[in-house]
Amino acid sequence: MTRYTAKPLPPIQLPELRQVGKPLRRVDAMGKAVGATAYAGDFSMPRMLHAKVFRSSQASAYIKRLDVRKARSLAGVACVLTAADVPNARLASDIPGQTGQQIRAGSEVPALASDRVRFYGEPIALIAAETPNIAERAMPLIEIEYEPLPGVYDPMEAMKPGAPNLHPPDNIVARWKIRKGNTEAGFAEADLIVENTFRLPYQEHAYLEPEAGVAWIDERGVINIRVSTQVIEHFRSIARAVGVPQNKIRIQGTMVGGGFGGKEDITVEIYLALLAKHTNRPVKLVYTREESILGHSKRHPYLIKHRTGVKKHGRISAAEIELISDSGAYPYLSPYVLLYSAVMSNGPYRVDNLRVEAATVATNNPYTSAFRGFGGPQACFAYEQQMDAIAEKLGMDPLELRKINYVRAGDSTSTGQVLESAAWLEETATRAMAALGDKTPDHGPLKVGQGFASYFQSYGRIMWLHDTSQAWVGVELDGTVTVRAGVPDLGAGQANSLCQIAAEVLGVPLEHVSIYCTDSAITPLSGTSTATRQLYMSGNATLMAATNVRQALLDRASKHFAEEIETLDMAEGRVFVKSNPSKFVELADLAKACAAEGAHLANLAMFKAPFSDPIDPETGQGSVFPDFTFGAYAVEVAVDTETGQLAVLKAAACHDVGRAINRAAVEGQIAGGGMQGLGYALMENLIVKDGVIQTPSLSEYLIPTCKDFPKTTVIILESGTGVGPFGAKGIGEPSFTPAAPALASAVADAIGVRIHELPLTPERVLAAIDGAKK
Amino acid sequence: MLPEFDLLRPHTLPEALALLAEQAPDIMPLAGGTNLIVELRGGRRSPKKLVDVSRLRELRGICRDDGHLVIGGGTTITELLAHPLIGEHGRPLRQAAAMLGNPLVRNRATVAGNLANASPAADTAPPLLALGAEIELVSSQGARRVPLDEFMVGVNKTLIRPDELLASLRWPVPPARSAARFCKIGLRKADACSVINAAAMVVWDEGGRCRQARIAIGAAAPRPVRAYAAETALQGQLLQSRAIEEAAHLAVQATDPIDDIRGTAAYRRRMAEVTVRRLLMQIAEVAGK
Amino acid sequence: MKPEVITLNVNGRTHHIALAPNVTLLTAVRDLGYTDVKCGCEKGDCGACAVLLAFPGAERGEPVNSCLVLAWQADGADITTVAGLGTAAQPHPLQAAFADAGAIQCGYCSPGFIIAAKALLDCNPRPTEHEIRDAIEGNLCRCTGYGHIVDAIRGAADKLPPAKGGAQ
Repeated sequence: MTRYTAKPLPPIQLPELRQVGKPLRRVDAMGKAVGATAYAGDFSMPRMLHAKVFRSSQASAYIKRLDVRKARSLAGVACVLTAADVPNARLASDIPGQTGQQIRAGSEVPALASDRVRFYGEPIALIAAETPNIAERAMPLIEIEYEPLPGVYDPMEAMKPGAPNLHPPDNIVARWKIRKGNTEAGFAEADLIVENTFRLPYQEHAYLEPEAGVAWIDERGVINIRVSTQVIEHFRSIARAVGVPQNKIRIQGTMVGGGFGGKEDITVEIYLALLAKHTNRPVKLVYTREESILGHSKRHPYLIKHRTGVKKHGRISAAEIELISDSGAYPYLSPYVLLYSAVMSNGPYRVDNLRVEAATVATNNPYTSAFRGFGGPQACFAYEQQMDAIAEKLGMDPLELRKINYVRAGDSTSTGQVLESAAWLEETATRAMAALGDKTPDHGPLKVGQGFASYFQSYGRIMWLHDTSQAWVGVELDGTVTVRAGVPDLGAGQANSLCQIAAEVLGVPLEHVSIYCTDSAITPLSGTSTATRQLYMSGNATLMAATNVRQALLDRASKHFAEEIETLDMAEGRVFVKSNPSKFVELADLAKACAAEGAHLANLAMFKAPFSDPIDPETGQGSVFPDFTFGAYAVEVAVDTETGQLAVLKAAACHDVGRAINRAAVEGQIAGGGMQGLGYALMENLIVKDGVIQTPSLSEYLIPTCKDFPKTTVIILESGTGVGPFGAKGIGEPSFTPAAPALASAVADAIGVRIHELPLTPERVLAAIDGAKK
Repeated sequence: MLPEFDLLRPHTLPEALALLAEQAPDIMPLAGGTNLIVELRGGRRSPKKLVDVSRLRELRGICRDDGHLVIGGGTTITELLAHPLIGEHGRPLRQAAAMLGNPLVRNRATVAGNLANASPAADTAPPLLALGAEIELVSSQGARRVPLDEFMVGVNKTLIRPDELLASLRWPVPPARSAARFCKIGLRKADACSVINAAAMVVWDEGGRCRQARIAIGAAAPRPVRAYAAETALQGQLLQSRAIEEAAHLAVQATDPIDDIRGTAAYRRRMAEVTVRRLLMQIAEVAGK
Repeated sequence: MKPEVITLNVNGRTHHIALAPNVTLLTAVRDLGYTDVKCGCEKGDCGACAVLLAFPGAERGEPVNSCLVLAWQADGADITTVAGLGTAAQPHPLQAAFADAGAIQCGYCSPGFIIAAKALLDCNPRPTEHEIRDAIEGNLCRCTGYGHIVDAIRGAADKLPPAKGGAQ
């Protein structure tokens, strides 16, 4: 592979900022470093009960008989609940967030299975007892008899008429279609047609913190739930399921020990609420690792078929893409994951004639839902491998083929949405590859390859969901700043970014900003920590609120100095005249003056994402996302051609993040997301057989250790063209998307044959090498 | 959550052995706990009593005794890694120690525990088999020595009696004209259960011909095995490619692997040949110097 | 299975507690209030529960998975958790380095890493990158990709005095 030169960037001059962009120590860092930060499992309340969830040991069965009397009468057991006790406890599983509306019938999930279980591990009963030990001893006392029902474990089988049915009328949970241009004509003019099928596996989130929470009813009858969650707006669904008014449920979200989409759906909250309500005592529930792996969602396995027509000089003339995903036993967010993968299925390439058919199918497998990238990574693995395959057939360099087809700002996506921000595809791909340097020579049985993947990934939620976010910013009378926002912090620095923005706008050091967050009762709701939306939405809300406060303060200051507002600035806790900084007033004094006059020192702002209408059901045309992030990942890998083992020698990532708010946090997301993607590609093998997970703990399901991959070279580009604060884009999910296809591409370069399936286990690699020899 | 059990904490080895003699077979020794506690939690074992031997000084110690290296059964994997005698006279064992589990586990896991637990994939087993190790089992009745080859009989099965402890192991100090190496294949680069592991030791004469070879393969049969046919084939041979390839090829015959979540039997058979060949090549390189 | 009173010295504080034998050191210290020791897997796979364990007479504590030690086995021992290394007002150089190098994202793995790093620097005050990675290969992180963590440990090593021992 020839070495690439970095494509020059347009001369962009982003304004120098004082706090934003700097790698400042995050507001949450020290508490975590000294072990002071309490996570959801670290809390206790007086008279607290301990809960356990009794789960199905069948993947597909009727419950013939369920008798909990023995468990109930064990000394120390306070309560055992079954579906019979909580018949209305059903959860809306699609689209968490502001609206709480269910868009699709059949997307409800029973909190506890009543007559039928649809997946291995489905919750059937809840136990609350005086000690964890007693709760555990009560479990085998629950008597249950199943009548096995034929199950279906393959989406292709589940689509066939007569297949065992999970939810009426058939197992097709959702479909999406995209039609653009004229594919028949497009294929007719192609010089070459390339067809390939790709398979993507499950992935387990494997956050270090298993699900946990504590619930209690306070003196006003409010059910408080202190829980590790990505979404505090679930209080609405929980209120409905538990049968209390919405204003009688309070979710206090804790610092989350890793989410990645696995804590996006309701996890332990509902069980805690039900048990607290039935016992009238505080209840704690903490999952074991095995229970976490068993009990929460997974990344969707996909089958993706590409049929692409190209002209001999490389221009794509038509594409037909079919996507089928395994939705598992309950829909959860499958329809939306499917949408993302359909919209992004053709990649960041201009395809004027496009036909996409996508379906997500129910099976008796573990249920699938949100996981970093939300369908985008699966699509990316397929489209990038397909582009490489086309390049190979045409005898073209992979980058050259892409350059002919890359979208640019002003082009439209598969759904006809015009791309408005910078699409730095060649810029990022060339830099990522250049960072790998010269290829390490082959040595003995080791063959070395280099490869890259380009991608685009949305940030911000689907626009017809009418996303909003609120933040409150205020100045205290001593000049310190307070931020209040519902934002759940998953560790990416969501809360810190809001503080850093407020610090920038109000001209105070970051250490003078305090944030209170993640409380559904007392902090303004900022929406979900999902869909790479927090910086965009809550960052903008905070920017608005802080700017409004700044305006009010400068207004008062301009009267104080008898100068126009435009001549004033705020920095280091002072308000001063720009041309004569010795003319200043301390922010504290200005705040006191405002307070004395009844002028506002605080502001609550709502940021609204652009609202659109749903895309056309027949053509899929319309605007879907607020914006996209573009970038690339490059890998150099050594393949041991005798054992099939892979060693990543070098890794580089280059993303246009628009504007980095906290540089260290952005680097961390890029490095961490990339590694999670390499894990997905190489070693994360969730084996499911007849609906039962065969890799129940972290001994069998392997995630990367610090020895598995080298340090990633992180190259951050800032086009300033994002719709987030200061021109920021999102990076949380985008950082994950291109890593797996980059590794696959490098492996293909090393061994001369492409593997269309993940993970790239040694046996799979060896089989590909053997196949190539024949 | 762990099941209920009584935990006895003797201060000396004789006390411990007396307790084992008295309470067997309902009692098990607990050392580092890195396997046993996991098994207790998972319900795979449920002894009514445990005897804590993790702080018994009599079970520690690494020394050279005449022509043998002797290590106490309670020696931790970290101690194996750090001790110069192991580096000098037990090289494959040190290599295995560096790849067994992770440092936190190694600080507690013991050699006796690794052998007595007898997972077919136990990483200390192939090196000790290659070194020709013998173990010492003690009880209140006395002591007996058993060659390691005979000690491990099946999946999690050894010849240990319920009233015995694996008190020590020994192997002859390898002669000057010899080399021994270990390798393993795992699904990630650290803290990975072996898909296959292997060790080999070759002693050669002045002319560079093999006088004695021991080849041991783990995770490819119900217990770690010696590849006797391969060893015999090497006798009297120079360590050159043809002899090495033939031995590696014969080594596969000693294996009897299964398909499991980490690998297929076919892959393990194939890797047995690759790993043994690579080990012998490494040893040949040393012999050549 | 009768509870017995054992003695655990945690972060310099002596606790006499009555415990059943089947309680792990992890559960025991957390129940004593040291919730800075995290539970991630209870199998020794993740390192989140790492503490320094020093038996009487030992020169220094060894990093171990507290989920794999029975509390009774640590009777009389000195246990150090991350909270024992420093406070927000006076952090240990490792804690400050982690906070400043971007090595802490969700932070759930951080206590275990800092303990493993402390043990490393106590024995090897000037580790190479390879030695750092060797020392923390039993600690899993799902957020950071490990790069900043290695940087933090190296940065802390540079700030600590070169002489061995007394590094508390």
